[in-house]
Amino acid sequence: MEFLDLPQMQRAFIIALIAGPVAGLLGTFITLRRMSFFSDAISHGAMTGVTLGLTLRLASDVNSPAMQLTLVVFCTAIALLMAWLFERTTLHTDTVIAFSYTGSVALGVVLISRLHGYRKLEGALFGDILASSPADVWIIAGLGTITLGFLFLNMRALTLSIVQENLAKIEGVNIRVLNYAFVVLIAVVVALLLQQLGALLISGLIVVPAAAARVMAGTFRRMLIFSAGFGFVGAASGVFSSYHLDTPTGPTMVLCDVAILMLCLGARSVRRRPGEARPPAERQSETA
Amino acid sequence: MLDPILEIEKLCVAYGEHEVLQDVSITIQRGQFACLIGPNGAGKSTLLKTIVGLVRASGGSVVSRARQIGYVPQQLPLDAGLPLTVAEFLSLKLTRSRWWFGVRHSLREPIRAQLAEIGAAHLIDRRLGMLSGGEFQRILVAYALINDPDFLLLDEPLTGVDIRGGLSFDGLLHHLHDHRHITILMVSHDLHLVEHLSDVVFCINRDLCCLGHPDEVLKPENLAKAYGHLPGMVRDAGGSAFIPMANIH
Repeated sequence: MEFLDLPQMQRAFIIALIAGPVAGLLGTFITLRRMSFFSDAISHGAMTGVTLGLTLRLASDVNSPAMQLTLVVFCTAIALLMAWLFERTTLHTDTVIAFSYTGSVALGVVLISRLHGYRKLEGALFGDILASSPADVWIIAGLGTITLGFLFLNMRALTLSIVQENLAKIEGVNIRVLNYAFVVLIAVVVALLLQQLGALLISGLIVVPAAAARVMAGTFRRMLIFSAGFGFVGAASGVFSSYHLDTPTGPTMVLCDVAILMLCLGARSVRRRPGEARPPAERQSETA
Repeated sequence: MLDPILEIEKLCVAYGEHEVLQDVSITIQRGQFACLIGPNGAGKSTLLKTIVGLVRASGGSVVSRARQIGYVPQQLPLDAGLPLTVAEFLSLKLTRSRWWFGVRHSLREPIRAQLAEIGAAHLIDRRLGMLSGGEFQRILVAYALINDPDFLLLDEPLTGVDIRGGLSFDGLLHHLHDHRHITILMVSHDLHLVEHLSDVVFCINRDLCCLGHPDEVLKPENLAKAYGHLPGMVRDAGGSAFIPMANIH
């Protein structure tokens, strides 16, 4: 464990071990609710938050606490706007995401042209987990606790709403509040992980472990366990590999997640889960 | 002796400016098998949703004297890859706390018993997304039957179910009504099933067009009131064929 001799590696490793499983678990619900592009839109829109923070001099650099606060506010505002548009208009979900995404990115590009020094944005685009401060470790630990607390306290409601929202409503779940709280949670997670993982990579950490878990799991419980487990393994092996291969840590973590997904897809293609029934369409085509 | 389980008086429901139900009054007696028919967009599903509190009435009253209401919603397409098993789905209803993490060992037996009653015990470990339309419909009924309801609402339960599944579902409804003495209100487009199963039929198209015994209601002149014009043909059980309207009576 020579790579843990350096304090910045220790901090990066701790953050990765928290962020990996938490993002994976959150990704389970994001993917099953078909909101993968929602988290992607927020993370890309967050670039505008960064340029806004720098242009308006709300923060001096990408890694400052003031920037974290700016991003939380900006990402939450974008998330709430998109959720409100889903609810109040007849526009398709992908349409709302597309125009929120492109609109905020376009605004970011316009603002960037006003900035002198584009290099300031590199950290926000690709992230730098090795630049994490001791305070960041505490912030990510707090974020992890809040995210897990939210997910586990609302596990029954979130799962029921995946099958059908009306079933959850009859059980007394306030779906509107749940949906808004969920998008705010996604926004806060994206905003606070932006400095470590970058706007272009956060979605990978959230979606890929959940996708791998979905491929392997035969039950919902196993999907939850696998997504957290794959997130943990991907993050830990990513930090470890990046040290030995001398590669950027954030992208290496996502690559490890992608490798896990590929292994899962390979494993599933050679072996059907025990007791798994074939899809009805497949069975019907055989009997026809 | 009359013992109403549901009394609806002058019910009005509107989605924004659009009035879906207008002055609908319905009474269902305990032990009845009632069916709700009407054209698409007539407000049938809205009526059921109003009874269970999913939709708010803009006027009138809904008084339920049921101890427990079970609701089987209209079937929606389900993600075929959703890794939620039948046992996990039913355990979501059996678990009362907000915390849920799969099927507790103590819940497997009650779930198996619930499924056995509706002839679906073999589906306990199957994933919801892998079920056929008829199988999924049975599981939704099993879900609605948890907590032992005395009033069951079914919203077009035979949509997407083939003839064999429909006949088998018919038997299940018979069992629930005759042996468990559950009062049933079912929305259906299947006039054969309605005629065969129900004690009373309500025909609506925003307002109540006619009501009564199926022999009285399922006549071309009454159906014309609700459907606007007589198509001359109606859909057969299972939705796979059409028969002349004249063959109903």
